[in-house]
Amino acid sequence: MSGVLDALAQIAALDVLLAILAASVYGMVIGALPGLTATMATALLVPITFYLPPIAAVATIIAASAMAIFSGDIPGALLRIPGTPASAAYTDEAYAMTRKGQAETALGISLWFSAIGGIVGTLALMAMAPALAEIALSFSSFEYFWLALLGLMCATLVARSSPVKAIAAMLIGLLISCIGIENPAGTPRFTFGVTDLLGGIEVIPALVGVFAISEVMRAMVSAEAPPIPRRRLGSILRGQWALTRRYQVPMWRGNILGVLVGVLPGAGADMAAWIGYSVSKRFSKEREKFGTGHPEGLVEAGAANNSALASAWVPALLFGIPGDTITAIAIGVLYMKGLNPGPTLFTERADSMYALYLIFIFANILMIPLGIATIRLATHVLRAPRAAVLPVIVLLSVVGAFAIGNNIFAVVVAAAFGLLGFVMERNGYPVAAMVLGIIMGSMLETHFVTSLIKSDNSLLPFFERPIAAVLATIAAAALLWPVVAWTLRRRARATAAA
Amino acid sequence: MHLPDRVSGAILAGLGALAAYGGSRLPPVPGQDVGPNVFPMVVGAGLILCGVLIAFGIGRSFEAPEEDPGAAVPAAGSLAARLVGLRALLPPALLLLYVLVVERLGFLPTAAVLVLVTALALGARLRLALPLAAAAPLAVHAVFSKLLRVPLPDGMLPAPW
Repeated sequence: MSGVLDALAQIAALDVLLAILAASVYGMVIGALPGLTATMATALLVPITFYLPPIAAVATIIAASAMAIFSGDIPGALLRIPGTPASAAYTDEAYAMTRKGQAETALGISLWFSAIGGIVGTLALMAMAPALAEIALSFSSFEYFWLALLGLMCATLVARSSPVKAIAAMLIGLLISCIGIENPAGTPRFTFGVTDLLGGIEVIPALVGVFAISEVMRAMVSAEAPPIPRRRLGSILRGQWALTRRYQVPMWRGNILGVLVGVLPGAGADMAAWIGYSVSKRFSKEREKFGTGHPEGLVEAGAANNSALASAWVPALLFGIPGDTITAIAIGVLYMKGLNPGPTLFTERADSMYALYLIFIFANILMIPLGIATIRLATHVLRAPRAAVLPVIVLLSVVGAFAIGNNIFAVVVAAAFGLLGFVMERNGYPVAAMVLGIIMGSMLETHFVTSLIKSDNSLLPFFERPIAAVLATIAAAALLWPVVAWTLRRRARATAAA
Repeated sequence: MHLPDRVSGAILAGLGALAAYGGSRLPPVPGQDVGPNVFPMVVGAGLILCGVLIAFGIGRSFEAPEEDPGAAVPAAGSLAARLVGLRALLPPALLLLYVLVVERLGFLPTAAVLVLVTALALGARLRLALPLAAAAPLAVHAVFSKLLRVPLPDGMLPAPW
């Protein structure tokens, strides 16, 4: 109990509360601007967290990402342009409601069920993480290797593109993580004699490049989104309670589904929203109404993506394996602040963990008033032309990349990764898979090589321990799934033709 | 920057081959079979396999249909289209420019150039771009240099604080 009180004292400090509030407003605005994603918001925030105390730093990441995932729904509902990828699954549905004159209901659903999903996800995180930590204490390098690989395989499944290209993107990420002397022998690898490469590619500048610079590059060659039309919105929360009661089953299903997807290493909010929406459609009694502005799918998918956002912290905190690109950044911040992920975090730094849970709950409650304000202001604030917003993003990218280590080479890294991300995106290679490859590369390699040394170069022990065998099976299933899906689809088409 | 799958697949396979070759030349750890060479070789082999599969168009059926690149791109082939395509390279080029000149010129003027050029390239009027180029660098400098103590170079134009 004293741990909880300690935690309360930690987050009740003025600097933490101010950090949460500022990060929330920032996350709301960035998430709501079309083309600026929740991941970009988080990546550009990291240089600032560098200078904050640990709890305040983690609090800003949690608050900004939760707000941005919600506010990505705003341009989705009003313009049919998803503000963040996690909103893409139900953008058409929300826009259909807007066309029917129910914009406030659509946005209200997003807000209300996002907050509920976030809180349920947090409760699941509180319940599951310490219990799983007990199990995780007995994990050896074999289990960690399979977990890391499973996370990477899930990341390739999330991408809605060719699985081969997704795996290739992930391998590029792994190859990038080879650069430097951080390897089992400490030999300079792929440094080509460049001193700046000896330390390896720094993750945050690379992320800033991939998620911010390449976004600006894309804007250079695409048309500007139309301004959000001025419209009067009615009460936003009115009718939500009735909807909550009416769609109890989809809501709970969405929450639970989000939690489960989030806990999977490598799968996060984006995937939860897609699965939530399609599950809702599959089991609905009014399936024909989907796509015409029906609230049911919105309820389930909106709940699913926010609960996944919270539960994605389970693998992140326990194993240092990110559930999505946002937790990938968060893991970097945890390391930076001495809260190294691992099962012992829950025993040795229990008060910090309680503080983290409290921040999650607080942020999800704060989301409701802030969200209402953002929706109300959306038609004014979000009319800012991108020619005014993106130059500032470029400037923040430069300074942010530099500020991480006061190293000018980081700006070169950001430029290079901006170009790489742009070219990959254009050609259908999912950049998120590459990013997870970069982040998890050294972890995967360390556990792979350690395991091989332990087993005297035999591959058999990789499958001998029970948990390792289970994880190996799931990873293999994730690898083979596209082949199975392809065969099933072919067979279905053949029977349809016959 | 759209490459046919044949080309991107071939590039990946080539990259994989280079990685595997480069990995195999790394010095081994004495008395140990597994060293820093194993991982690049495994990853390289994977890249070769993926590259070949991509070049032969395997997995294409999973890709979402291509999005409309937007109305800002005029008819392909014309000089204007090529120039618009090159505009995408502007942001990384500006970052490199920053790296090259910031020490000598100082943060404020360099940042102002970055903001001005980006805003104009995105179609801003001077009425918007000029005030933005004056205000944004000052604001960013105030936050990062003053509050967060990031050593941004003064160069020829030190900040007024």
